[in-house]
Amino acid sequence: MSLPKRILKETERLMADSPPGISAAPKDDNLRHFDVTVAGPESSPYEGGVFKLELFLPEEYPMNPPKVRFLTKIYHPNIDKLGRICLDILKDKWSPALQIRTVLLSIQALLGAPNPDDPLANDVAQNWKEDEKGAIAQAKEWTRVYAH
Amino acid sequence: MAKVPRSFRLLSELEHGEKGIGDGSCSYGLKDSDDIAMYEWNGTVLGPPHSAYENRIFSLSIYCGDKYPDAPPLVKFESRINLPCVNQQGLVDFARVASISQWKREFTLETVLVELRRDMASPANRKTAQPAEGTEFPPLDLAALAKQRKV
Repeated sequence: MSLPKRILKETERLMADSPPGISAAPKDDNLRHFDVTVAGPESSPYEGGVFKLELFLPEEYPMNPPKVRFLTKIYHPNIDKLGRICLDILKDKWSPALQIRTVLLSIQALLGAPNPDDPLANDVAQNWKEDEKGAIAQAKEWTRVYAH
Repeated sequence: MAKVPRSFRLLSELEHGEKGIGDGSCSYGLKDSDDIAMYEWNGTVLGPPHSAYENRIFSLSIYCGDKYPDAPPLVKFESRINLPCVNQQGLVDFARVASISQWKREFTLETVLVELRRDMASPANRKTAQPAEGTEFPPLDLAALAKQRKV
């Protein structure tokens, strides 16, 4: 199974020069399926945590966005219990000019800027709006328990 | 063709299932909505009209092992049923459902449920007397069975 040149290039660059706090490597048995880690951004509730994700480049990539989900449990209003992520560039705001690198940077940025007004995990978002302090404490606790 | 990994395949099946399939004669979903590995599923099949299964809702347990969708899921009827492809424990023997006996990666949980329903409606099976409604097969540890069968 030959990979499009674009995917080869992106993979090469990711492996050689990944953005700070981010790693991504294709699996041996499927070069479109990546093991990803993202470090929680500084001064966010996720600081100090390392989160595992998986990313898949569908046949239609880059015309269609990559598919990404968290494998590490995380308390975040835009990430649900199955690790699915609510992020516009993974859906209707996708553009073929974006890359794996930009997607992972956006996900890292999402950790630094939870958006409870556009929730995927409704219970988390509600808690975030009603008791932000409590929600942040919960996010820190989950980071400590699950993301180390 | 790009080979869709198990996890993303199951996520898209989940989304499809949540929207409801076709005429509502079959449905499925995750047993535990925060099972990140997505092993255990519930399914239902509505007995086809003009058959001995009519007006019954059959509950099933489905186990998607690590090899799914390269290997078929384990499927067990919870509701008792008399159907040649279902053994005394309630387990479905895929070899006895002609349309899915040769498992293909493209087959989905929907395919399995739709084909089981079609099997109920087949001329050979549709008049088979059925057990009393509301009775169940004994419980079975599908996770252990999956491990044993290496699926």
